[in-house]
Amino acid sequence: MSYVAIKGGKAAIDGAAAATDYLRCKGSLDEPLTLAMIEEQLRLLTSRVVSEGGLYHPRLAALALKQFQGDTLEAAFALRAYRSTKPRLLETPVQDTANMRCIRRISSAFKEVPGGQYLGATYDYALRLLQLDLANEDPAAFKAVAQSFLQDTPDSEVPDNFPKVIDALRAEGLLPPVTPSRAAAFDITRDPLVFPVPRSAALATMARSETGGLLAMAYSNMRGYGDVHPTVAELRVGYLPVMLPHPVTGELMEAGEVLVTECEVVAMYEGTNGDELPTFTLGYGACFGHNEVKAISMAILDRALQKGMQDGPTNPSEDPEFVLLHVDGVDSMGFASHYKMPHYVTFQSDMDRLRTTQQKMQQQDTEATA
Amino acid sequence: MNVARKEWPAALCALPATEVKHLANVLSGELEVRDVALPHAGLGLLNLRDGAFEESYFIGEIPVARAEVIVRTAGGLEERGGALIVDDRAQFARSIAILDAVMAGKLPGSVPAMALVQRGMEVRQQKQIERKKLLTATRVDFSLLGQEDDEDEE
Repeated sequence: MSYVAIKGGKAAIDGAAAATDYLRCKGSLDEPLTLAMIEEQLRLLTSRVVSEGGLYHPRLAALALKQFQGDTLEAAFALRAYRSTKPRLLETPVQDTANMRCIRRISSAFKEVPGGQYLGATYDYALRLLQLDLANEDPAAFKAVAQSFLQDTPDSEVPDNFPKVIDALRAEGLLPPVTPSRAAAFDITRDPLVFPVPRSAALATMARSETGGLLAMAYSNMRGYGDVHPTVAELRVGYLPVMLPHPVTGELMEAGEVLVTECEVVAMYEGTNGDELPTFTLGYGACFGHNEVKAISMAILDRALQKGMQDGPTNPSEDPEFVLLHVDGVDSMGFASHYKMPHYVTFQSDMDRLRTTQQKMQQQDTEATA
Repeated sequence: MNVARKEWPAALCALPATEVKHLANVLSGELEVRDVALPHAGLGLLNLRDGAFEESYFIGEIPVARAEVIVRTAGGLEERGGALIVDDRAQFARSIAILDAVMAGKLPGSVPAMALVQRGMEVRQQKQIERKKLLTATRVDFSLLGQEDDEDEE
């Protein structure tokens, strides 16, 4: 099958752009959405776009959401397109997420962890009932919410950083030892995935994957097409300082910070062939922004893929090729959307073949009954 | 309060860019500023250490802007300054680089520049206090039902 070029439709395409913008602007609101409103009040939506776009630029993510009227796939696509126009200036030194300035930190594996557990901002324990008073929110009351929270909450001696929960498990010998790897991380923005791929390629691919796609793959494992059976050792959300060398002194300095969600899951323990003691297995997930479902899904799939790479996949979620080639939102959305483009030449061909087949069969029937 | 040079960029980035640019522009009128390289903006690939096996991987890209300048006084004093920030505004990076040179060489203008840094540090500190309140308000200790230290029983 080959593709054919088409022509025409310019006026209609221009009209479609105008019609789309008309729908964006025709509402009863007097004021257009500001980017700050989107970035702050729809922060979780913005988070999806920065992680799925693979570029930590919340303001441009908000712009993309505004432009594409809330479509996260299109917004992520626009962010990817934007990044493709920018020069690559550097690769950062390896950043340590232990330096994260947490705004949320929990462990489902332990009642108490060193440094403490903090729910932070979460809907985890909220009733999913509509808060009808938000429908007509008074601007003064809206502003007062933030002020009163800050006034009513006392300052306390919360540490700037927290130790990793799994460090304690590792110290106790319950986790596999860390073997320092000197392998350079795989750059999925420059190199295609040719299987088998290193784990760094899998992590990078999942970090910018589409949340729903990743969740679906992980959910298949959770429901039984797999046996990771994870326990969340730690889930943290926070601002990671980005340390870059000073251009003059070369000393590492804080150049900025990015909001990151990170999750480590402890999975079923496995024995070893030699004299080594069995240990729990581990999975890891992280992404830009605040997106816990994505980080947990990624951690489960990381573990599933490790198993698949080691023993061969027994379930779809353990198959690196199946998972990694089907979780990217821009790729999959693009393929689905391309079916909307004119395909009448190939379809004419299909119709011709079907008619011919039908005619042949009718002719055979006629000859058989004659 | 002395603020280490490595803290200056983050402090200045915490302030409105217009304030930083304004001071840099004022100082540029009084001092000779030469670009070592043209200020530029682009992307950086963010390399993270995974929390499970401590392998490095790229979580995604970040905007970065870089500038490097030499600032010279009429009296011949000279200092090199630079900025590399998570931002997409090259001219903002250049303004920070100018202030970096001025403060590093204690050139004329270093006092107001350091005052800006101090204010930026305060903004950062306030932001961190606000973030910690998110934790303070939500410290949790899940007890089993019926345990003595069940906070809901109090």
